[in-house]
Amino acid sequence: MSAIETAPLPRESQNFQRLSFTGTASEYFGIWIVNILLTIVTLGIYSAWAKVRRNRYFYGNTVLLGRAFEYHAKGKQIFIGRLIVFAYLIVYNILLTAFPIAGIALAVVVLFFFPWLIMRGLRFGARVTSYRNVRFDFTGKMGGAFVAFMAGPVLAFLSLGILAPLASRWMYRYMGNNLRYGSRAFATDPRLAPIYQTWLFSALIIVLGMLIVGVAVLANVSVIVALIDNPDVVSPEMNASLFLLGVVSYLAALLSFGIAALFYRAGVRNIAWSSTVFDGRHMLKSDLSRSRYVWIAVSNVIVTVLTFGLMRPWAAVRSARYVNEHTAIRFDGDVGEILAAVEQEGTAVGAEFMEFEGFDFGF
Amino acid sequence: MILASDEPLCRGDWHPRNSSRSVPARLVLKDEQIAAVAEEGEEAALASAAFPLLEISARVGSIPRRVGFPGGSLFETADNDAIDRLLLARGHRRAGLVHGLERFHPRLLLFVAAVFILSGLVYRYALPVLVEIAVAVTPPVVPRLMSVSTLETLDRTVLDETRLDEAKKRAISEGFARIAAQSARGASAYTLNFREGGAIGPNAFALPDGTLIITDELVELAGNDTEMLVGVLAHEIGHVELEHSLRQIYRAAGMAGLIMLIAGDVGESVEDLLVQGGGLVALSYSRAAETAADRHSVALMEKAGYDPAAIARFFDILEKKLGDTSGTSILSTHPGTPERKKAILDLTASLGRQTPD
Repeated sequence: MSAIETAPLPRESQNFQRLSFTGTASEYFGIWIVNILLTIVTLGIYSAWAKVRRNRYFYGNTVLLGRAFEYHAKGKQIFIGRLIVFAYLIVYNILLTAFPIAGIALAVVVLFFFPWLIMRGLRFGARVTSYRNVRFDFTGKMGGAFVAFMAGPVLAFLSLGILAPLASRWMYRYMGNNLRYGSRAFATDPRLAPIYQTWLFSALIIVLGMLIVGVAVLANVSVIVALIDNPDVVSPEMNASLFLLGVVSYLAALLSFGIAALFYRAGVRNIAWSSTVFDGRHMLKSDLSRSRYVWIAVSNVIVTVLTFGLMRPWAAVRSARYVNEHTAIRFDGDVGEILAAVEQEGTAVGAEFMEFEGFDFGF
Repeated sequence: MILASDEPLCRGDWHPRNSSRSVPARLVLKDEQIAAVAEEGEEAALASAAFPLLEISARVGSIPRRVGFPGGSLFETADNDAIDRLLLARGHRRAGLVHGLERFHPRLLLFVAAVFILSGLVYRYALPVLVEIAVAVTPPVVPRLMSVSTLETLDRTVLDETRLDEAKKRAISEGFARIAAQSARGASAYTLNFREGGAIGPNAFALPDGTLIITDELVELAGNDTEMLVGVLAHEIGHVELEHSLRQIYRAAGMAGLIMLIAGDVGESVEDLLVQGGGLVALSYSRAAETAADRHSVALMEKAGYDPAAIARFFDILEKKLGDTSGTSILSTHPGTPERKKAILDLTASLGRQTPD
């Protein structure tokens, strides 16, 4: 009978290996406050090194199977990248003053450079990340970045959000299908139907928020009618009532859009990660609870604001822990063997020092 | 120096170059070299090098420490203290300097206080300087582009063709030409436009390139008091000459930018809030701007030979016809009307004393 009692768990739950986060709020607080202090004292220069320490802390505390990730970028690298941007802005301003037409033309040219900058940013982010002594890499091209990060968002905007799931799919496909760990590839193809399901839920939240605004307007309808009839006379009481209407509408709109966006982000992350495969056979998984994710994000903001930012380290650690603990991978086969067999190609490391940061997109 | 080779400095994992394969290993001191030796199996070093050739990562919190060997292999350990002792013994006293500051310790309270004080100083002194620099280096084409597109948008959405008769328009334009000629930028820098205000009602406003707009509703509100309207336009000229719109935009953007740069990591949602908060700060700044523009109106009207207190009559009308007796609050873009009227009258009274004529 003991065979039944010790029956193995279903294969899936048995083999999914979850990430964990080993950092603590008190430890990060020190790093965070010293980063801020040194950034102010050095007139902003230290911010590049501050970023390295912050990322090293978060990557270094992200643990899979007992081993942590590592962030390798150097402060000097990031600083030089920022100097380039700064120098460019100066040159651009001079040009715009001297030859306005050339300056405007240059702005259009720069617009076409954005996909390139985004692509470089993603590549930099991947190449300065390692796990078990092997670097990640990103092989995406400029055209893909254009579709994923410019055409997609523009399409989503023009369609009033109705095509946002399509844009999300393009973005995750671009990021997921071009990511490499050593010489091995990730692949992903999130399906549209489930993304639209999660989108519908978010759309309902926005509709609900708009309903609240509608009710608030209805409650003030007498004031508004009076205003239209006789715009010259607004009593102080009416003023107060209108002011309240403005505040309630603004908050309802802000909250409903914010919460809908958070719901959507968590839902799409679950779908995209769970349809991602590493090296053709190892499944990834994300199982964030959308409502818990929203709660953590919203309460983090409230606590951070109420404490003048001092609880930000606690909030950052809290959300990192939640997201990590709901991210997992299931290795098909012997984990030890699989993890011992990944080799790094020379390109990722050697090229890293020639890179600059581009746009900052985290994985 | 005598040190048994089997007494490890610390334990961890060793990786060959470019490989995810690892073996449990320990770091030992061997013949004046630092060596990684496998925990099981042969005693031969997996890698070894003289201390100065090692690449040891800086300590951050208690994340694993990396010791890189010249051949490209890597020893990784969670034993941060052992690595710190090794560095200290080799005379690297400054290696852990930043980490030392970061450790959880009552001293951090001092840092918090310092950050709050310094942030206040940055806000009070550095931000205005940055805004002035930004205004100074802004190419002239920028306000022109901003104005053209703003007027276009307004025309398409709320504003309509004026329905004032020619005589009225001419009277206001003549008065406007008189004060514009006295302004620092000269008459050619300003153009006056008449529009029907629609949703924005009785109003006058200035775009940063010197385009002024006055609504029919405001003209009607003024009745026959053209001088008062000229006083309001002088106020708008003040906004243009003092470059208030640019300042306001830069101030809001500079606030958000500085906080993001200094705090580094504030969280996405807080970042969004900051941008909104930046808008609020810009509004509270605009109260000071309104007062400055009021003073500008007084000076300009006096130069052009008008009643310098003409704009105070406008506040009178606001108070009486619109019942605007509200005090100043953080959310309002303009100072309370009674407060402004009083300031104007005080100012003109003092001008009168200085130049009795």
